[in-house]
Amino acid sequence: MSSKINTRGFRPVVKGPNWRGIWTLYAKEVHRYFKIFGQTLLAPIITALLFLIVFGIVFGDGRTVGELTYIEFLAPGLLMMTILQNAFANTSTSIISQKVNDSIVDTLMPPLSPLELTIGFILGGATRGLMVAIGVGISLAVVVPISFQNLGAVIFFAFGAAIMMGSMGMMTGIWAEKFDHVSTVTNFIILPLSFLSGTFFPISRFPDALQIASFYNPFFYLIDGLRFGFTNQSTGPIAIGVFFIVIINVFLWLTCYWMLRAGYKIKD
Amino acid sequence: MNIETRPRLGLCNTLGTWSLYRREVLRFFKIAGQTFFAPVITDLLFLGIFNLAFAGQGRSAGDVPFIQFLVPGLILMAVMTASFANASFSLMFEKIVETIVDTLMPPMSPGELTIGYVLASTTRGLLVGIAVLIGMLIFTKVQIHSWIFILFHAIAASMLMSVLGLITAIWAEKIDHVASINNFVILPLTFLSGTFYSTQHLPEIFQKVAYFNPFFYVIDGFRYGFIGIHDGNLILGILILTILIIFFWSSCVILFASGFKLKS
Repeated sequence: MSSKINTRGFRPVVKGPNWRGIWTLYAKEVHRYFKIFGQTLLAPIITALLFLIVFGIVFGDGRTVGELTYIEFLAPGLLMMTILQNAFANTSTSIISQKVNDSIVDTLMPPLSPLELTIGFILGGATRGLMVAIGVGISLAVVVPISFQNLGAVIFFAFGAAIMMGSMGMMTGIWAEKFDHVSTVTNFIILPLSFLSGTFFPISRFPDALQIASFYNPFFYLIDGLRFGFTNQSTGPIAIGVFFIVIINVFLWLTCYWMLRAGYKIKD
Repeated sequence: MNIETRPRLGLCNTLGTWSLYRREVLRFFKIAGQTFFAPVITDLLFLGIFNLAFAGQGRSAGDVPFIQFLVPGLILMAVMTASFANASFSLMFEKIVETIVDTLMPPMSPGELTIGYVLASTTRGLLVGIAVLIGMLIFTKVQIHSWIFILFHAIAASMLMSVLGLITAIWAEKIDHVASINNFVILPLTFLSGTFYSTQHLPEIFQKVAYFNPFFYVIDGFRYGFIGIHDGNLILGILILTILIIFFWSSCVILFASGFKLKS
């Protein structure tokens, strides 16, 4: 088999998408976090369970949110929080550690187009978010009755969130110059947003101004949508949520693609 | 024959200890965003969530408002997490990048090394505590019952966590080990020792378990300093903490002296 050299770039001619390349990058990303599964899979499960126990005890006198007991209300929120934090953590730390170690060149050199790189990285992060969520879900099911009222909504919002945070983590990783930058974004943007978007309490507890602001917060729609999928109860309009999440995901993918194509902060 | 490899420096190598302490403190000041602001934000988030979720009606001890009950717990949680993180990550990092030899080579005894590391982490814990307290004062009033209890328990908590962090780092071979201890031992113990709720509300069996958790006594005594109400025996708590600190501090010195996992 003779391989031609493309004169405009150095990419060998691969007809159609480079499936093997995408799969290899994806597998590398997944292997990376499996190697430290104590930190990446077990620790978030323990954290979510601790939240459930603490909030369950503090709030354990049969208070309700709408028609749900507080624990039933909390469980989908914790699941979504887990997806958000882990999908973000995976892509951001993976890329920043490659940059800090100077091994990013090994990922950029192979014949993968910017789009293929984007797909590999984001799906790797999304997989971690979803795997942790499944782990948390199984552990929660021991304590809380979990039912799928609307399986479509559960799948859409879980995948939507995982992919969205995977791409946000990727952008953060590309932009950041050291670990400090990534932890700053995690501590000051991702953590507050995942805590304050209706995870632990309905946004009706907010002052009016913040309630209105919540309707522009994509995390709110994700949490609300997932909760709708499990309990059939929602605060905001689900259709708008679906629309909003799709638009944001398309926008974030395009940004990631553009950043990689331009070589922003990863190629000299 | 006893060969004296260490220059005679009197009772204690004060300059060496001070230099180690100073280097450690400068280290965490370099990443002030992570070391000070992050815990303040996290604690304020917890404060906000508990306040909004329970509209101030959570379960506290006696007739103390829930927020007043919660504030000391959150402050101490930040102090403990910060002290442990500082001691463990600093030494662990030195081991991984193999600069630990630069700390072990100077003429410092195991006791002096322990003092330098532990006091620096204690400093970080206390500074974080002060930062969190200031952050909380913006949103809520804080009452003080007894300064002595507040100071003793804050210092005891950060010292205990620092020596534990140091021992963890000496034992650990990679960051993963430190993170495991942090996630599976320290975090659950701090979360479940009465930080967020009074142990009076636990089922009886868990109340008994709580009395074997040293972190329970730290939080209980520290909270007594603020609101004047406690769940456990204060004197017993002080005694347990003192013994634990002496025990783990000595273990640390012994580990440094033996070169366990530090010297090959």
